[in-house]
Amino acid sequence: MIRAEGVEAMEFPELSDRFGVSGVPQTTINDGAGTIVGAVPEQNLLAEIMRSAAR
Amino acid sequence: MPEKLLNDQVIDQVLEAFTNLQKPVVILFFGSRQNCDYCDDTHQLIEEVVALDKRLSLNRYDIDADQEVALLYRIDKTPGIVIAAGNGDHIIDYGIQYSGIPSGHEFSTLIQDILLVSGRDSGLNPQSREFLKKLEKPLHLQVFVTPT
Repeated sequence: MIRAEGVEAMEFPELSDRFGVSGVPQTTINDGAGTIVGAVPEQNLLAEIMRSAAR
Repeated sequence: MPEKLLNDQVIDQVLEAFTNLQKPVVILFFGSRQNCDYCDDTHQLIEEVVALDKRLSLNRYDIDADQEVALLYRIDKTPGIVIAAGNGDHIIDYGIQYSGIPSGHEFSTLIQDILLVSGRDSGLNPQSREFLKKLEKPLHLQVFVTPT
């Protein structure tokens, strides 16, 4: 149900461009339904996941 | 034999980290023969890591020749790595994947992933677990990183 994928941004430039990755880490949720730039506390990540999942 | 990718100092650090290994971990490697600059190095890197502890094993697949396996784990890029529980054909997938070569900073991410799966515990707080347990639709997180 949950897939967490680390992506080496420079090896997959098309994907990085598609999600507008300009700094790392960037977390893209469900193909762009949500985005988090930088490393954030677990509760912030969860809040963005909740927001994205509700879409 | 190609030259080793891991030097003695790195091997010592990994062995030190692996004293915390618990249950078996299997790494599924997906490569391809075409357009994959980092496939060979990635496979070799993982091979060298897996050789450091008997609780670790490695299955090698080709994204084209083993299309069904790639589909099962939803691998669409190479090199693609799945860090799963178990060994051989007894695989429990936790959805933990890495696309690209896990070198530089990302090498420690690979080692941490192995330890996490080996411990069979996400380490998440109860609130997160509660929410994620109730998910009705698949959730895909892609964390973009660079090795430097």
